[in-house]
Amino acid sequence: MSKADKITLDGNKLSVTQLNIAIRDAAKNGVKTVEIEHPMARHNLGVAITDPIHLIYKGDVGYYAVSLSDQVTAEIHGSAGWGIGDNLIRGEVVVHGNAATAAAPSLRGGTVVVKGSVGPRSAIGLKSGELIVGGDAGYMTGFFMQKGRLIICGNTGDALGDSMYQGAIYVGGQIHAIGSGCRYADIDAAERDDLYATLDKYKIKAPKSFSKVESDRSLWHFDKKEFEVWKDVL
Amino acid sequence: MEGRPLKDATYSGIWSPDTIESIQEKAELGRYQIRGQATKRRDLPSFDDLVFVPAGLSRMPLEGYRERCDTRVVIGEGRVKRPLVLDRPIMIAGMSFGALSINAKRALGRAATKCGISTCTGDGGMHPEERKNSAKLVYQYLPSRYGLTPYDMRKADMIEVVCGQGAKPGTGGVLLGSKVSAEVARMRDLPEGVDQRTPCRHPDWMGADDLPVKIQQIREAVGYEIPVSVKVGASRIADDIKLIARAGVDAIVFDGMEGGTAASPTIQLDHTGIPTIAAIAEAAESLRDMGLKEDIKLIVGGGIRNGADAAKCIALGADVVYIGTAALIALGCHRPIHVEDYHRMGTTPYECNHCHTGLCPVGITTQYPRLIERLDPDEGAERVANFLNAMTMEIQLFARACGKNRVHDLDGNDMKALTMEASMMTGVPMVGLNGRVPAWRTY
Repeated sequence: MSKADKITLDGNKLSVTQLNIAIRDAAKNGVKTVEIEHPMARHNLGVAITDPIHLIYKGDVGYYAVSLSDQVTAEIHGSAGWGIGDNLIRGEVVVHGNAATAAAPSLRGGTVVVKGSVGPRSAIGLKSGELIVGGDAGYMTGFFMQKGRLIICGNTGDALGDSMYQGAIYVGGQIHAIGSGCRYADIDAAERDDLYATLDKYKIKAPKSFSKVESDRSLWHFDKKEFEVWKDVL
Repeated sequence: MEGRPLKDATYSGIWSPDTIESIQEKAELGRYQIRGQATKRRDLPSFDDLVFVPAGLSRMPLEGYRERCDTRVVIGEGRVKRPLVLDRPIMIAGMSFGALSINAKRALGRAATKCGISTCTGDGGMHPEERKNSAKLVYQYLPSRYGLTPYDMRKADMIEVVCGQGAKPGTGGVLLGSKVSAEVARMRDLPEGVDQRTPCRHPDWMGADDLPVKIQQIREAVGYEIPVSVKVGASRIADDIKLIARAGVDAIVFDGMEGGTAASPTIQLDHTGIPTIAAIAEAAESLRDMGLKEDIKLIVGGGIRNGADAAKCIALGADVVYIGTAALIALGCHRPIHVEDYHRMGTTPYECNHCHTGLCPVGITTQYPRLIERLDPDEGAERVANFLNAMTMEIQLFARACGKNRVHDLDGNDMKALTMEASMMTGVPMVGLNGRVPAWRTY
């Protein structure tokens, strides 16, 4: 492939595997931008892209778009299926529509922005990085969150942040209920300023105020007494 | 046990001393007990309920030490660019760095390499030392996604998508804080010393209907180069096997309820899943029903102790056996050395199940440097390789005795069942009936 700043791939003419190979080849060859026309909500578009590149999807994408990838930025001009940005290491994914169940699962770094709403079980096992949601988020969002930041401008379902270890969740709307092992926390001025600056960067309408949820660390140890005993034995 | 009455006759069948102790322990702890290793139930059907019926006159045996008996297995042959070739029908099961020490990982990798078989990362990611020491390495893709990267996926020789394990099907992993060292914590993105719990379901797919899409994602990530398998704990095995096979995998892995673990709720070890012997015939039957028995390899684990168990698994339909606990025992688990340290934990060699504490006296299931040093990886590798050699010879012994020059030619007709239960579960004919019901006899 010759070096070009931008190439266009037509989803009508290529299989998912051909598209992924073409994107990888383009990234490897220093192409800066790949535009994918007619993605047709197909699954697994943009998997394991590990060289720097910018992807523009001109329509809806299916499951696991921009997943298992590193150093990738992407715009999705439509909605995304399940697992958008799954396991992203570094980079940025912006979805201009909604995202279905499990947005940004096990994100390892980078940023996933969904301008609409996300389905349930989003940001499960978030390891670093951040998920920013302009609308609402469903049940069990932030479950087992390990690190990172989750910003939801709208409402959330039940069990928000259940069993989270670390990290912070900010919600602009109503929280139906927080999950086990987490608690409400105060937001300081620097955090608040950073939240509004982040939303401004992505041109997302900010709510008037935020609630913060963090780990209460009650699930960090099954039994602290027992842990002390083990240490004594040593 | 102190204070127990001396006469057994006074013990209640329901409120036995063990039951009373368990209740009193829970009353103190305020939670269920956690321990390592596998169920200790003695009433499970086992492979001892089957025997081989070697060749005599109706069939000729092969010479035990002379004639060739093939043990090779290839996973993904004709399906992926780089199939996994195993010189023997044995694989080392997934046991994480975290559950095991780095020296244990090194030793298992070296032994597996020496014997031409694979080892497996388990949860928590791929440690560079494990990759270096294992010529063939299976990379587990788990609900936790600890340490998961596309870079490590590409370094693997097979990807195993884990949806459950035999020791505790339906539950996620546990790694208690004493084993979450700085390095383990870094690899898993967790705070050091935290009691790590693992989700039991994958975060980004909801059920069997989505599994084919997940498998496609993994295949795209590894460029269709290496095989992909799915692992479950044996429970609703007949249906699970069909759903996995439909997803287009190269191999299916399951372990029965005898499977071991580094830490589990004790009650779950004893009361979930089904025994390996019962599961295996169901699993093989499911693949035959779908016409996929030849295409998809069946890898079976859970309480496999020796070549006899392995040969019986193969005869019932397995292509490969997974060994975990047996490999650790070969490595030195339960070895009567540093006995004072077993006693400090309130246990002894042979009964120890304290993997969860991280205080393993022989340096296998620990992250404490002082204990890790007790395990010499080269000596350990030698012991495990010796065991693997012995086990392979045992499998070949049964195949040759049954007149087979490929261990995978063993089948149900090479065995008889000693109990009606084993016969009913496996379809293997009951001894003494010559394949017929007792009414055939006339006196």
